Amino acid sequence: MTTESDYASSEQHLYADWLDVGTRVGFVALVASFVVYVTGLVPPGIAHTDLPRYWSLPVTEYLAATGAPSGWAWIARLGESDLLNFVGVAILGTVTILCYARILAVFVRSSERALAAICIAEIVVLAVAASGLFGAGH
Amino acid sequence: MTRAPLLAIFALATIAPATVWAAEASAAPWWVWPIALFTVTFLLGIVAVLAGVGGGVLFVPIVGGFFPFHLDFVRGAGLLLALSGSLSAAPELLRRGFASLRLALPLALAGSTTAIFGAMVGLALPTAVVQTALGVVVLLIVLLTWRMPDVDEPRASRPDALSAALRLSGVFHDRAAARDIDWQAHRTPLGLAAFAAIGLMGGMLGLGAGWANVPALNLVMGVPIKLAVGTSTLAISISNTSAAWVYLNHGALLPILHVPSILGVMLGARVGAHLLQRVQSGTARRIMLVLLAIAGVRALAKGLGIWE
Repeated sequence: MTTESDYASSEQHLYADWLDVGTRVGFVALVASFVVYVTGLVPPGIAHTDLPRYWSLPVTEYLAATGAPSGWAWIARLGESDLLNFVGVAILGTVTILCYARILAVFVRSSERALAAICIAEIVVLAVAASGLFGAGH
Repeated sequence: MTRAPLLAIFALATIAPATVWAAEASAAPWWVWPIALFTVTFLLGIVAVLAGVGGGVLFVPIVGGFFPFHLDFVRGAGLLLALSGSLSAAPELLRRGFASLRLALPLALAGSTTAIFGAMVGLALPTAVVQTALGVVVLLIVLLTWRMPDVDEPRASRPDALSAALRLSGVFHDRAAARDIDWQAHRTPLGLAAFAAIGLMGGMLGLGAGWANVPALNLVMGVPIKLAVGTSTLAISISNTSAAWVYLNHGALLPILHVPSILGVMLGARVGAHLLQRVQSGTARRIMLVLLAIAGVRALAKGLGIWE
């Protein structure tokens, strides 16, 4: 008997499986780090009580006033629970790149050159966006 | 019937507390805000599912208009919210054939590339300009959604050269109609241009893009509506990824803002999905349009300095 999943190609199933796992890991990291942050288990870089003074500022003024990092500088300050939360965001931002890398191999094997080229271009675009070339050191 | 008042209460419950709390911004302790955000976004999640839109399109104008957070952070949170929702939904849509990966690949490439520039432009422009643009776009969304013709199974003419080369076609199984629907995308260059424009706007304003992606797929490219909805969700998960990285790299993310909002909308969406069978979608859609119209006027007035 034909089921709905039979209408999806094998690369769709592969992409879905990788996306599913990566997204779950990202959400767990996001929520767990938020619990750590909001309960004060690990102290944040900007005290909770100080936040309302800064969150209505434009981001440039916020960074200048608080000393919060831009670009990838947060990696070096993961001991601050507000920045620890960026780990979950970074995982959610990386999962699609991994999915593309996985299906790229499938398209290369099946000689789907146009789709393989699109995958490579998308990986480059997302990697450039992630690199901080556009925006770090604001 | 009791449905309309029920949804009106949802709308009022969404706007009213936010307005009051925003007025008392300086007095409220910090912990009030994540709770308020969770409550409001939970209601938004319900309304969004019932109205058939993504939470992102409601989140940015409403939270940007009635909460004390700067629009830079609200847009960053809006992008993450739309990204989270689409990442969660995409695996199941792909497995069940409700989204086409092959179709999403070229469109998402166009959208994710321009979304980077949209995000950079949005973060570089003065707040009043972005606020005004947000108001104009939200009011346009209201107008387009209100006037949008319903096209379920458009008949695609002959595929264009690009669609044929990339084999943007397939068979979609419509379970409700218990039949297979052959589809073939056409006007691909126009579709790519539409996704590029939508990506630019999405990155700049932090809005989810389903409201624009779906008509582009359905009305421009001739994709069956259910497949268009699923493929749009997949495309959002890709194009919002690039814009979200720009916001992260600019430091324009506040965990106190985006985490409760993501959790609220996702939980609300689950409740909305359960209510879907009992509430008329037309009523929910009208409530959503009223909410958006209020938020759009508020954003426009804020941007023009009329209503601070």
